[in-house]
Amino acid sequence: MSTEPGAVAAEPMVPPPTSYEAAVERLESIIARLDSNQAGLKETLALCQEGKVLIEFAAGELEAVDRGLEELQLAELIERLEPSR
Amino acid sequence: MDASEPSSTATGAPVAVAGYPGPFPVGRYALKLRDRLREFQRVAVIGEVCGLRIGRGPNVYFELRDQQGALSCAMWRDDFDRQGLAEDAFADGLEVVAAGGLDFYPGGPQASPRLQFRVRELRLAGEGDLLARLARLRRELSADGLFEPQKLLPRPVLPRRIGVVTSRDGAARRDLLAGLERRGWRGTVVWGDAPVQDRRAAAAIRRSVRDLAAFADVDVIVVCRGGGSIADLWAFCDEALCREIAVLAVPVISAVGHETDRTLIDDVAAVSCSTPTHAAEAAVPLDCTRAREAVAAHARRLNTLGRAALASRARTLAASSRAPREHLDRHRRRLHQLTREMRAASARGLAGRGEFQRRIAALVLDRKLEATRVAAAAGRRSLGANARRLARASEGIGRRRSLALGAQAAALRAHDPDRTLERGFAVALDDAGEPLAGVAALREAGSFDLQLSDGRVPAQVDDSQERERGAP
Repeated sequence: MSTEPGAVAAEPMVPPPTSYEAAVERLESIIARLDSNQAGLKETLALCQEGKVLIEFAAGELEAVDRGLEELQLAELIERLEPSR
Repeated sequence: MDASEPSSTATGAPVAVAGYPGPFPVGRYALKLRDRLREFQRVAVIGEVCGLRIGRGPNVYFELRDQQGALSCAMWRDDFDRQGLAEDAFADGLEVVAAGGLDFYPGGPQASPRLQFRVRELRLAGEGDLLARLARLRRELSADGLFEPQKLLPRPVLPRRIGVVTSRDGAARRDLLAGLERRGWRGTVVWGDAPVQDRRAAAAIRRSVRDLAAFADVDVIVVCRGGGSIADLWAFCDEALCREIAVLAVPVISAVGHETDRTLIDDVAAVSCSTPTHAAEAAVPLDCTRAREAVAAHARRLNTLGRAALASRARTLAASSRAPREHLDRHRRRLHQLTREMRAASARGLAGRGEFQRRIAALVLDRKLEATRVAAAAGRRSLGANARRLARASEGIGRRRSLALGAQAAALRAHDPDRTLERGFAVALDDAGEPLAGVAALREAGSFDLQLSDGRVPAQVDDSQERERGAP
């Protein structure tokens, strides 16, 4: 609830995370807030919902660099982009 | 320059140009220029060899270049040979120190003039020379503010695509991959292969860096090679390369040589590392393996906290709801008890009232019965009197009626035909027993019966006497 002391989820519309580090930072602040036992039920539910979105985002970012190492050659990329070069 | 005598023509004095001495014969001016240039102090210069030509002629030609300028150089073949430089060891791209001075070939009617630096002594640049030049470049680039831009670029902790500029077969390549693997990073690597040591290295590295930034959509670029002398690493001190990297929009991580060999690229790069392994850690600041565990732990923690919050509040709500519920239960039980008592009392009340009503009814009935008995007795007594009065009245009526009846009977008998017949009269009856009244009826019947008091006799109309009285 926005009027609760130390509330961190006052915004009704939480913007989507833009980077892994921003998502994790926000996630850690949410868990700290929940750990404090000061969040009301409404805030708790909102934080859990937001946390779920953040976890999905962070997990997706990690998943993107866990699909197996792929090695590309710059010369081949350029050849594909600019065949006449 | 000494004032040369203006040339004269056969036709007279030369035509001067206002404000300028002369005109002088150009050849004489060229010679004077050569003499004057040769008076310049002899110096040693350092630069990169370019356009080397070692032919059959008496001169060896090449240029010395750096980022700020170039000199055309010429060296007598004898002087060149005296340096003890192997021809195959002397090539374009080498950093050399050349000592000599300016010279001018004045040319002639069939030859073009040429300004040259006449090299008398030549040697490959030593470490001291390179370090001195490096220090100068470092000062210049720093003064131009080129050490900062890269360091201001944001670097993602989790790049998806990493560009790498290194030698195709170098150990740095393997070290970098091993470092990435240890990070648990398995994204995309774009290799921008380039020589890292020879005279073509700087230009090739520069081209790869530029192309990785422009075409490969990489999040970060790593430039790396193993250790070596400053001469070996000189390509990474190339001024043009460093100036280009300094203003690149993609962060560059350098890992060239070791910590003791700090090249110019280390100064302009966003991050400089001592080894390719460290470069891998700089390129992927996040330990992906640990991060995956941490995110999973965060997810579990969040789930636990969410469930705990709900459970806690559910218990509180349950406890809060218990008091009113119990209060209601108490009232409900009390109401049920009262209801039962009320029903019992009602039943008892009904029974009592029934008995009372029965007693009342019995009493009323008894009284009614007694009254009825009294009334009946009175009735009986009244009935007896009435009966007696009735009998007396009836008796009087009978007598009166008997007397009247006798009178009526007497009157009636006086009108009885039988009494008439008894007095001698007769009555004529037709076949049906109906009386025939009158002569006409008798004549019409013709025959009839005469009823007398003691019986009936047939009779017949006989008009013979009448017809005789009536005949004329």
